[in-house]
Amino acid sequence: MRTLPAKILLYVVVCAAIAGIAFSDRPFWIQLAIGITITAILALAWDILSRTGQVSLGMAAFFGLGAYTTAILDPITNTYLAWLGVIVVCGLFAAVLGLVTLRLRQMYFAIATLGFTLSLQVVVLVFPDFTGGAGGVAPPLLAGGDPAMQLLAIGGLLIVAMLVSDVLLRRRFRPAFFMIRTKPELAASCGVPVVRTRILAFIISGVFAGLAGACYGGLYGYVTPSDVYTVNWSIMPLAVAVLGGMDTTFGPILGAIILRLLEEVARELIGGVGYQVVYGAVIILFVVALPRGVTGALKALFGLSVRTPLGTRPAATGS
Amino acid sequence: MDAITLSQTILLSITIAALYAAIASGLTLEFGVTKIINFAHGEFVMFGAFITYFLQSNYAINPIIGALVSGLVMMALSWIVFEAFLARVLRQDEHNQILATIGLSILMINLAMIFWGPDARVMHAPDILPALRIGIVTIPGNNLVVLIIGALLFVGITWFLRGTRYGLLLRLASDDPVMAKFAGVNVHGMFRLSFLIGGLTAGISGGLVALVLYIHPLVGTDAVMRAFAIVALGGLGSIGGAVVGAAILSIAENMTSTFVPGGGSWGYGIAFLIIVVVLVLRPSGLFGKELRA
Repeated sequence: MRTLPAKILLYVVVCAAIAGIAFSDRPFWIQLAIGITITAILALAWDILSRTGQVSLGMAAFFGLGAYTTAILDPITNTYLAWLGVIVVCGLFAAVLGLVTLRLRQMYFAIATLGFTLSLQVVVLVFPDFTGGAGGVAPPLLAGGDPAMQLLAIGGLLIVAMLVSDVLLRRRFRPAFFMIRTKPELAASCGVPVVRTRILAFIISGVFAGLAGACYGGLYGYVTPSDVYTVNWSIMPLAVAVLGGMDTTFGPILGAIILRLLEEVARELIGGVGYQVVYGAVIILFVVALPRGVTGALKALFGLSVRTPLGTRPAATGS
Repeated sequence: MDAITLSQTILLSITIAALYAAIASGLTLEFGVTKIINFAHGEFVMFGAFITYFLQSNYAINPIIGALVSGLVMMALSWIVFEAFLARVLRQDEHNQILATIGLSILMINLAMIFWGPDARVMHAPDILPALRIGIVTIPGNNLVVLIIGALLFVGITWFLRGTRYGLLLRLASDDPVMAKFAGVNVHGMFRLSFLIGGLTAGISGGLVALVLYIHPLVGTDAVMRAFAIVALGGLGSIGGAVVGAAILSIAENMTSTFVPGGGSWGYGIAFLIIVVVLVLRPSGLFGKELRA
């Protein structure tokens, strides 16, 4: 994934796959592709934040915030303003959360973001007049409720997320992210705006997670707090991005495909209750066997060096 | 709110706080030594609750003995889990550590779903202790047992860490693993020891869960979420902080569900508002040591 042709190939393959499935007239595949695409967007959003060294367990907060923002703004204004509202609201919340948690490191950050998610769920339950309480809300239907068009719309969002992710992986941002992640003090003394860059990553990540949530809410035009503010939507992006390969655009997409397909197979084999047992087992196996994710393992397999922003080093050193 | 309900609520909160403190002290011990947050700690508690439940309902075994058996079984399971894969992720990046224990948590929850089904059960054990009447309020016998065993567990862990040779080695290995290695301490063994003790306390806490709460596959997740709040309040790695945190959390939560109309469903969330506020004001918790960035 390091040369321009390879990058363009990735975009072409993703576009072709989404368009191919959308026009294939197979409802099951369309639903599966929608699930994979939403997961991939969330995972990319998580990965963008993680590039500054923060391991977030709060993606569900923005996911839910997005769905709820469209649902609350849509009746008051119109659909376009509601979607614009998602960007504004999620961006604002991300900026505030980013500023507030700026001093938190490592596990404290993870727990604070987890706490933020569950607090939002409480806010929904405490103000039922405004948020519909436990009964849920009705976000506007995406693309009139036609699954094929929905897939195309969400696919479009994925392409935008990929573009943003790739821009952030280019020369201008990547070294800054790398330094902030590994040595924040050194980054600051080299003139990298640490706070501004961290907040920027937080906002981008929050906005994409919110948009993914709004799309999810628009699938059936109905969400409850337990649909969106669950720990699942916080863990999934982490699992997908780490298993696929962090600090890449390709990794989260590959991870989303692998994990969602696996989930379907497990559901088929084990049934509705407890099928996620496979999920847990696979996560453990991957972390032990492929600590650098599938992308890292593939690179190691083909003897490619893993590129860091400050030069190259041999792959699979297993740091 | 009248005086009887208020004092009754506070008393019951304190017994439940003992349970949360027991769970949180295992969690914070594991973190303090290995710097890994064990997201699967709650699932060890849940397995412990099921073991105690089945021993009681199938063989009529006293829940206190059941809790001890659960503790030993969970200790053995911790050993297996630690040697099988947790030891391998110790040196990996933080996101891999989080993911590894989350994976274990998902695995254990779903195994419980498959084996025992998702429905909640209640253990109908004969009362071990009679209910205690203090003036106008009563504490049910089971809550009393929870309070006593929870306190014993807590005192036991503190004594182990502060008063025994192993505790000293454990603290050395956690403060400075490299120096400990030079001093001839088996650091790997010490890390394993912290997980063994963590497993033991989780299993025993599970027995306590079976005494006073409903038993279902997600009970551990519920409990450990509160344990996180408590640990964040008290400071990761601080066992004394866990007790203060548990008391604050449990009283706040029970007050909300008793005195706020419809508050029962979101008393849980109060825990998390507290976490966020405390972490913002004091990033290392109330009693936590400063964490190096």
